[in-house]
Amino acid sequence: MFADTFQSVVRAMWAPLLIVFLRLESEKYILVGLSFLGIVILVGVIAFLKYRNFTFFLDEEKQEFILSKGILNKSRINIQLSKIQQVNINQSIIQKIVGVYSLDIDTAGTDKKEISIRAIDQDLALILKERLLDYDNKEEVDLDENQEVIPKENNHAKPFLKISYATLFKVGITSKYGRTIAILITFIATLFQAFKDAVDTFELDESQVDSVFEQGLGMMSVLILIFGLLVIVLLINIARTFIKHFDFEIVKQKNSLVVTHGLFAKKNTLLNPLKVQITSFSQNFFQKKFRILDMNMKQASNNEVQEKQKKSSVIEIPGCDSVERDEILRIILGKIPEKGQEFVPNFRYLIFRILFLVIIPIVIFVALSLTVIDDLAFYLPLIFVYLVLVGVAIFFGYKNYRMYSNPEFIILKHGAWDVENEIIQPHKIQGITTTQYFWHKSSDVGHLTLHTAAGDVHFHFGNFTEIKQLVNYWLYQVETSTENWM
Amino acid sequence: MENFTNETLNLNSLPKYEEVNFSPLHKNYFKVVYINIAITLFIFAVGIGVLLFTIQELQNTSNYLIFGISYFVFAIIVIFPSIASVKKRGFAVREKDILYKRGLISTTTTVIPFNRVQHVAMHEGVFSRMFHLAQIQIYTAGGSTSDIKISGIEKERAENIKELLTQKIQNHI
Repeated sequence: MFADTFQSVVRAMWAPLLIVFLRLESEKYILVGLSFLGIVILVGVIAFLKYRNFTFFLDEEKQEFILSKGILNKSRINIQLSKIQQVNINQSIIQKIVGVYSLDIDTAGTDKKEISIRAIDQDLALILKERLLDYDNKEEVDLDENQEVIPKENNHAKPFLKISYATLFKVGITSKYGRTIAILITFIATLFQAFKDAVDTFELDESQVDSVFEQGLGMMSVLILIFGLLVIVLLINIARTFIKHFDFEIVKQKNSLVVTHGLFAKKNTLLNPLKVQITSFSQNFFQKKFRILDMNMKQASNNEVQEKQKKSSVIEIPGCDSVERDEILRIILGKIPEKGQEFVPNFRYLIFRILFLVIIPIVIFVALSLTVIDDLAFYLPLIFVYLVLVGVAIFFGYKNYRMYSNPEFIILKHGAWDVENEIIQPHKIQGITTTQYFWHKSSDVGHLTLHTAAGDVHFHFGNFTEIKQLVNYWLYQVETSTENWM
Repeated sequence: MENFTNETLNLNSLPKYEEVNFSPLHKNYFKVVYINIAITLFIFAVGIGVLLFTIQELQNTSNYLIFGISYFVFAIIVIFPSIASVKKRGFAVREKDILYKRGLISTTTTVIPFNRVQHVAMHEGVFSRMFHLAQIQIYTAGGSTSDIKISGIEKERAENIKELLTQKIQNHI
């Protein structure tokens, strides 16, 4: 708790503190030091009061979890156990040192009440989690953050899926280049900005630095640069995969799956199959050769904080083989989905892609090279490389863009490189939207969007008559189904 | 159990959402839209007037002409699509779901089954209230993309819809 409050204070104040340190003359350091000490003591007192006032307990009779907190503004949060979506137990590095865990409770629906208990020991966390998600047994439990609880015998079941280092390595070299490159770019951009700031503040001789840069660039050939970048991307990818998915384990517990992973920050998530809204698996060309695939289970997310929540409500299983995939699918969906009737997009899908990815960029490029910038003409042959790459991507994107439907499942397949299959059960649909542009009316082409609690799924440029028929059928299914969507 | 049947469904015999008669928005809603457009245009006009009045360099006939024409074009661009889009909007309440259709360039229809509605809200703007109109907003767990907002419904009717939906939600739970 102390560390937590201190962290938030430091986070809010680091900028002024830094300025104070840099700008002040040496004789005023004592004053600064004293005030700093004062702040630390104040933080300590606040943290202690926060800790004293932070209590939670489980009301078995009303099936509610009640948390009260606050020093001046006291707040009391009640959560119906049936509304709880997910309980996560996490551990950051600081928490690992102190030996505590944090427990987050996610709820679904529009009322966003999120609970986070920042310091809790492991046994208590596990018991609490079990109780929260399994609200059938009636037994009064009173829990306090500083209260000792005799740990219940934990039935450590044999992991049902465990991912080896070799598989993690394979995952590392085959997947998510895009994300790593994006991270790398932001990293380099921040680095560059910081470097520029440093140059500005220390008033270094800019021309000197710049010339060093130019020499460096001149000496390195472009090929080596690209090759180096590729290696860096791969290395970072592998490192990232290892850090994130280290010791990845799935344990089957009653009707749900417990997912544990992480090197520095250990994550423990309980996955209830009923609450999974979209199940998807994806595979790219390299992964196909290695016989591995990625799986994602998307759970209902809170739309107000969607960006933040998106990460926590998606559970990822990297690198499982097709047998394991089928096993997981059977647990989550009850059976292995068959593909059913196939729906193919109209060729207009291609027109749209070609227009935006080929014709418009090339026209702009040619126009620029002919008018404004003369040097660009030198790069004109690159257009052909671009054409081939994009052409292949569009072709495979079209070839893989399919929708399958049968009475129990809807499967959407898409992606040029990472071919993703998204599986939805019709009774988990929240709403359906169809869109048709007026120029598509005569050719009977239209778009379909299925809204689920874990996000939207699209099928564009389908046969509109077929889409309408399907929509009627799905509406019939949703409106007559008695199954709960979560 | 003896009543259980499981016959093959004829897909064509299912009720068709695309053949539903959509009721248009109340005609008084046009007045609300006119008032809103008038206010927007008035604010722009005041802005341009202030600009021309304060900056001396802009004060000559050709500039007046440019501002005048572009203001006129802007007004047309604002007025016609908003009126046309209101005409295109429509909603329908069926036994088990609610439909909302809108869109000028593309026709978009959203269907929300009653048993997937999370909650319902009714809003009344200042001008809408003058004409006894209200807006109904229907929330689902699907997030902002699937929520529907129907403006310009007669207040009584809106209240009826809200009542109906609330009842359905409670029955469902």
